[in-house]
Amino acid sequence: MCGAPAFPDREGVIEVKQLTKRYGRARAVDDLSFTVQPGHVTGFLGPNGAGKSTTMRLILGLDTPTSGEALVNGRRYATLGRPLHEVGALLDANALHPTRSAYNHLLWMARSNGIDPVRVAEVLEQVGLAGVARKKAGGFSLGMKQRLGIAAALLGDPGVLLFDEPVNGLDPDGVRWIRDLMRSLAAEGRTVLLSSHLMSEMALTADRIVIVGRGRLIVETSVKDLTERYDSLESAYLALTAGSVEYGAAR
Amino acid sequence: MNVLAAEWLKIRSIRSNHLILAISLGAILLAVAVAMSAIAMYDSAPASMRAGARIAELEEVVLIVPQLAMGIMGVLAITSEYATGLIRTSFALVPGRRPVLAAKSVVVGGLGLVVGPVVVFATYAVSWWMLESRYPVAGFADRLPTLVTSSLTVAVYALLGLGLGAVLRSAAGAIAILVGLVYVIPMIVGNLPEPWSERLGSVMLGALPREITGEDLTSSVYGALLSPFAAAVALVLYAAVPLGSGLLLIRGRDV
Amino acid sequence: MIASEWLKLRSVSSTRYAIGAAALVIVLGAVWSFYVGTLADARGSIRAAAPEEGFLPLVQISLALVGVLAVTAEYGTGTIRPSLTAVPRRRALLAAKATVVAAATTLPALAVIFITHAVSHLIAGDRAVGYNAGSFGDDLPLLLGSVLSVTVLALVGLGLGVVTRSTAAAVGSVVGLLFVLPGIAPYLPQPWNVRVGAWMLPNLVPQIAGERISTRLDGLLPPAAAVAVLAGYALVALVAAFLVFERRDA
Repeated sequence: MCGAPAFPDREGVIEVKQLTKRYGRARAVDDLSFTVQPGHVTGFLGPNGAGKSTTMRLILGLDTPTSGEALVNGRRYATLGRPLHEVGALLDANALHPTRSAYNHLLWMARSNGIDPVRVAEVLEQVGLAGVARKKAGGFSLGMKQRLGIAAALLGDPGVLLFDEPVNGLDPDGVRWIRDLMRSLAAEGRTVLLSSHLMSEMALTADRIVIVGRGRLIVETSVKDLTERYDSLESAYLALTAGSVEYGAAR
Repeated sequence: MNVLAAEWLKIRSIRSNHLILAISLGAILLAVAVAMSAIAMYDSAPASMRAGARIAELEEVVLIVPQLAMGIMGVLAITSEYATGLIRTSFALVPGRRPVLAAKSVVVGGLGLVVGPVVVFATYAVSWWMLESRYPVAGFADRLPTLVTSSLTVAVYALLGLGLGAVLRSAAGAIAILVGLVYVIPMIVGNLPEPWSERLGSVMLGALPREITGEDLTSSVYGALLSPFAAAVALVLYAAVPLGSGLLLIRGRDV
Repeated sequence: MIASEWLKLRSVSSTRYAIGAAALVIVLGAVWSFYVGTLADARGSIRAAAPEEGFLPLVQISLALVGVLAVTAEYGTGTIRPSLTAVPRRRALLAAKATVVAAATTLPALAVIFITHAVSHLIAGDRAVGYNAGSFGDDLPLLLGSVLSVTVLALVGLGLGVVTRSTAAAVGSVVGLLFVLPGIAPYLPQPWNVRVGAWMLPNLVPQIAGERISTRLDGLLPPAAAVAVLAGYALVALVAAFLVFERRDA
């Protein structure tokens, strides 16, 4: 959120357009299109191997699409100069060097995007890791690693946030904390894309839902719409993905 | 500049790199140990044998330790990120990717430029202080060109390791190739019949420092066919080819 | 349990690459023999090194990697935990790994070294190329010693892998034993160059065959002692591994 946005009307918007990603013959993502708007928590659902993580990697420019494109703030992610200021992401909480301290893990990230080191202490405080900041991240529990990954995503105070399964490994306190955090981030006008398999939790957290199966879009709608048509989000999910539970090109 | 500061912090915040630096500088202690054994042997030798006593240059003997250690630091600087998945974070933070590898080269190569001269000149000082009264030790001015060029090789090993790591993405593979280039291939080349032994021996990494300074290599296991300039170019290529390949490949690969 | 460790080792692509790299020696040896043969035709006779000895370091380092990765790959990916929950008796697990690593490296080494030997002799024919001066019986101790050195290095690699839990540290240590220390030993003043050099891992192979270590270095140990020292390397590494592995938290 620095400088004047290049596309004011697309600020905070994630646009996935006819996105396709093939690994060999398998299509992990197949002609997928959807839009994520700011001010909401958008739940990203689908069976294992449906292409959720691949889509997130494509949005972040980590994998190259076979065809189609993914835009953030109207631009391809790879063209962003200091991306942490615009997009924060938690893909894999275990992606840490085991002997590096939590503080240093965040500090190198801050340095790479020209973020004030003061911010590192702030986000550590915000996620409740200030007390263990100097400990080696390798010794953290999965829940603590998730908190550290969330701190990393918040570091640049970005307008767009992506979280892949952030609730895994968290205790009930942590689950509640994530729910409140996601909702407050959205309430501040940020864009939040959140993937999870916990339907009851998703029903409490998300306003909008994107469901994919076998790399294709199944439905893009509001939670309210789904819970009105089916009796719960869980029933809606199970009914809609019934034909798509198959292990595709999971990576 | 930001990316450089980040990569510097990454390198210095990992325990294994402290160990690698300690091992590299430990080469100086190894030189002291060799010198002490040489002194003990000289003092126990009969006077008639003392006059002809000779010893290899200590810095030549121990230099392989910082060379390999820093080569491994170069390898791990990138392969450890692939192994932990951290490479995704690095590339998400710097979508251009090439600045990440370039900054790693500056940090790892820069450390090599510090470690190499420290080890080489300290080891020379050891041989001067400890051995000079007993063994013939070449004067500083005579040795200086070779000391400088061999100290620079440590940075070349570090960058070679980093380049191999960037291309192969696997610590085991990159270290195996590094060892292949440093040991296995020269051993095989040394066994080749002439003229190939000398021709290929001249482009082996270990032959280059002395070819650059134009020292007498008749007793060496390597060849000495390259001119100083050609040898300097070859030394640079050992680092530049793998790093250049890494820079080319890093952009397009999915992580 | 041995079957499951065998399946693990065989299903990792790095094992296949490593054995492939070792097998490359057969091709290199054939090229070498052709080249040496043409030189012998031109000059009448030459003294060339046997390819299975000249290329032995390639076999040694490739297959030592198999030993290292057999355990560090599990630490790297975290699969060591399921391995230990599946087989809580850690000694048995490590013994199974050692058996499989020994078998999976000795057999390829045996094949590569003896095939290279046979091919190089076939190609040389009755030309005097140096390495075919002796009979097969004369060469046999050196060939068997070479194979044994590969097995020992793989087991040392496995032991170092368990102790360090890091691919880089274990490979670095193997390289130290195989190349760095033996490279430094000849520079020690006499008589330490021989006393220390004789115990260096790669120098034990020629001593098993009762040969000089190199043009610069004499042997010191009788063949039986050299075999014992070689086996000692594996024993020390494995005992250290057993002691550490049993007591450490996964």
